[in-house]
Amino acid sequence: MDPGYGDSLLILAIAFASACICEGISWLLIYRSSSYKALRYTIDRTSKKLETMKSGGGGAKKSSRTKKMDRFESSLKESSRDLSFFKFKSGAVVALVLLVVFGLLSSLFEGKPVAKLPFAPSPFIQKMTHRGLPGDDPTDCSMVFFYFLCSVSIRSNLQKLLGFAPPRGAAANAGMMFAAPDPKAR
Amino acid sequence: MRERSTASSKPHDEQHSLLQHDGESAVSKLLSPDAEWDRDQLGDVLHWLRQALGLLCGIVWGLIPLVGSVWLLVFMLVSTLLVYTYYAFLLKVDQDEFGGHGALLQEGMFASVTLFLLAWILVYSLVHF
Repeated sequence: MDPGYGDSLLILAIAFASACICEGISWLLIYRSSSYKALRYTIDRTSKKLETMKSGGGGAKKSSRTKKMDRFESSLKESSRDLSFFKFKSGAVVALVLLVVFGLLSSLFEGKPVAKLPFAPSPFIQKMTHRGLPGDDPTDCSMVFFYFLCSVSIRSNLQKLLGFAPPRGAAANAGMMFAAPDPKAR
Repeated sequence: MRERSTASSKPHDEQHSLLQHDGESAVSKLLSPDAEWDRDQLGDVLHWLRQALGLLCGIVWGLIPLVGSVWLLVFMLVSTLLVYTYYAFLLKVDQDEFGGHGALLQEGMFASVTLFLLAWILVYSLVHF
């Protein structure tokens, strides 16, 4: 017999609190620094210029416009790479906090379903939704999956609300941290 | 003195009416086909629209309850259609100026799906068990 799923509210509260703490740490270590602000400004400005040129703005000839666009794109890629590297250095602290919270929740809710799924997930997804749970009921929801949903939805919206979400130009060039420098760059 | 007192009350009234005007113009911009948008503003509006739809649908799906994986697909279809209708027919934006339909439709999509699942699972679990 299931005694109810009130623990899911506790996990939601812990996920919300840890998201606030992580954003606070990120603000202390990353967002308030002048280098980060300058990088963000550069990315915003460059991606806006690029969009204007792509939509045919400006009266320049096609060849010089293409060269300028290439230069802007290279500059955008470099700035995005620098931004990723900048965040990576400080992200280790945030990762540590999340690890501690996850460890705490795992020890509290090991082997216990925290919610009931209103659908039966595919066997591949069940590896996460049914992780560490006894029995074969595919609609039992483990803490891992529930915490994952809480973290992603709360954190991404919190970042958006606080203005800490990565600029769209950087988001388009995500994962450029380890890319080789663009030969078109000046 | 009287002039000063009337002068000091004026800025407060003007500020109040300015705030009121800004609030009204923000709301009217969200519904106006003649408004001008930049990429970031429109992207943010579509993001929050998706989140609101995700939260609302998750709560409703959980309360009824709607059970089965198909309802996840229904949600994605409904929210995509509503977002498309909003920017194409209500705001009448030229999608080419904002990176195309793909870029506009994917604004906030992943976060809204996770928020929808969270709300659906939470409400379903708490209300029906």
